[in-house]
Amino acid sequence: MSIPVQTQLPDNLINQAQELIKAGWANNLDDLLADALRRYLESHSLALSEKFLLDDVQWGLHGSD
Amino acid sequence: MVQTNPGSSIIVVCDAGPVIHLDELDQLPLLNDFSEVLIPDTVWNEVQKHRPQAIELCRQWAQKVTPVQPLSAKLQATIQLFSLHAGEIQALQIIEEHPTDLFLTDDSAARLAAGTVNVKVHGTLGILLRAIRRQQLTRQQVVSLLKAIPDKTSLHLRPSLLKQIISEVEDSS
Repeated sequence: MSIPVQTQLPDNLINQAQELIKAGWANNLDDLLADALRRYLESHSLALSEKFLLDDVQWGLHGSD
Repeated sequence: MVQTNPGSSIIVVCDAGPVIHLDELDQLPLLNDFSEVLIPDTVWNEVQKHRPQAIELCRQWAQKVTPVQPLSAKLQATIQLFSLHAGEIQALQIIEEHPTDLFLTDDSAARLAAGTVNVKVHGTLGILLRAIRRQQLTRQQVVSLLKAIPDKTSLHLRPSLLKQIISEVEDSS
């Protein structure tokens, strides 16, 4: 299921996106924007943030540097 | 007053988060344990704007650094992929230009992006806990600081995760 979204985006971003679509890196603007949003959400996920904090705990307590 | 334990030969590059959060806990001098602390000028200016007293401390042992090389193609791609902020971008530029052992940031996207420049990454929590094994602070002092995080800092931690971390620190030896 997909939900229509209306938004304002800088024209330089749209131009760069259109160039990628023309070069065959994405099927269309909808796919490209969904992929960009997916990547953003992946890199800012709660699970990832907490994994990094637990990495800090291990390094802080048991690291060697 | 934080006691330092000279001997670390680690060169670090700092993002704004750890500088601000450590200062909120009055623990910024923990960074003085590293042999060099490099702060990108964008980060320096950001901290100066929001927490000028932290920069006054940093002046004593940190260097304000400006990247000299243009962004590499690899970093340009990384920046777009991870939607990084100006300070994080400069930090990665500096890591590409200078030999760096550790990048300090509390931002998840910046931590992921740092994988592209092959540098070890940790954050405020890591520095606080490292202070125990570096004998800069006692375990009890660090536990008190961890408990103070929700009230004294702008570092966001899920309460149950913080409780779990505090238990792990109390149980570790």
